[in-house]
Amino acid sequence: MDELEFRRRVYANPDTTDRDIVEAAKSDPAKQAFWQEQKAQDNALLEVMKVPVPEDMAHKLIWQQTADEFVRHKKRSRWYVAMAASVAFAVGISFTLFNRGPVSLGNEALVHMQYAAAERSHSGLPVDLTQVNAKLAGFGASLTDMVDNVKVANYCHLNKVRSLHLIMETDQGLMSVFVVPHRDDITLPDAFSNDTYHGEAVKMQRANILVVGDKQADLKPVMQEMTRKIQFSA
Amino acid sequence: MKEKQQRYEALVHAFHADIYRYAYWLVKDKSIAEDIVQETFLRAWRSLDALKEQQAAKSWLITIVRRENARRFERKQLDTVDIDDVSVIDDTAHTDSTTEQRDLHRLLGGLSEEYREPLVLQLLFGFSGEEIAEQLSLNKNTVMTRLFRARNQLRDAMQRQENQRGRQNG
Repeated sequence: MDELEFRRRVYANPDTTDRDIVEAAKSDPAKQAFWQEQKAQDNALLEVMKVPVPEDMAHKLIWQQTADEFVRHKKRSRWYVAMAASVAFAVGISFTLFNRGPVSLGNEALVHMQYAAAERSHSGLPVDLTQVNAKLAGFGASLTDMVDNVKVANYCHLNKVRSLHLIMETDQGLMSVFVVPHRDDITLPDAFSNDTYHGEAVKMQRANILVVGDKQADLKPVMQEMTRKIQFSA
Repeated sequence: MKEKQQRYEALVHAFHADIYRYAYWLVKDKSIAEDIVQETFLRAWRSLDALKEQQAAKSWLITIVRRENARRFERKQLDTVDIDDVSVIDDTAHTDSTTEQRDLHRLLGGLSEEYREPLVLQLLFGFSGEEIAEQLSLNKNTVMTRLFRARNQLRDAMQRQENQRGRQNG
């Protein structure tokens, strides 16, 4: 191996273990010496390359990562909270909007029927005209004569509309009459029903009259009696 | 999470010193090197899940350092400071180092980057010619030529230095 090739190879990697380099060095003391000088220079170079590392660098790097994680975690939670808040807000808004939509009183009245049976029991005294009229006065209405078979007269709320609920025991079973004041946001079908009950409604001057009874019951007589006897003040 | 934390800490302890030194010889400035290392490990942490084998960690970190350094240069293009106005050689040589070590430090810093970088990878990280070639996206012959020229230049410069001193002292 010529001098130049030997030097090129040793310069490129003084730690070489290539057989031809080793052989060449063995047979030529000058090459051997050059090789040793290069190894020594490499050792010196490595010492120089190993510049002192700033104190506590490892701790700093670990700390910075922890801080980064914390900040990112916080950002992430903030994002989640914001998301949750938005969802809650949207739900709140839509709930409010739904409830503002026209309310059908028919269904409300049917629901109230289920409580009517229980309601009846805690009224020991018979209901008289004075009592009913006192309650109707709030709607600007009164009865000219007492309607038959009234067992309970009480205020109730049909979807937040304060109404008078009369429960009657007729020969056709339990019946309910609701007197519900007019409101713009309330719709009232003429007739409504579910599996057990059906009802009819009549719009009067200042209130709606609802009559609800068993599925088979004829509601007409009670409705006629109510519309005949109720009066509204001017 | 805890396991990732442990992997990260192991990575820091194993490599931070040599990664810092590598960055230092890339930019020849202690505080910039420190910034680069911090940024490098932060990025390493964020994508630690992508690092499958511990074996690849070294070259992975080196790649991040080089990218960070390139990024820094892009930013620097926007600054109006002329690179020639900034003192390039930063004397970080140990205070208790010998004259020879100080010379070598200065000469190593004076090598052009394309010669210095493969040399640092070879000596500091023990990379083979093939590994350096892969890391720097060069072919192996180019790498070997650069290593040869780097050492050749250093040796010549050291000899000139000694001759000069000899004359001054003699």
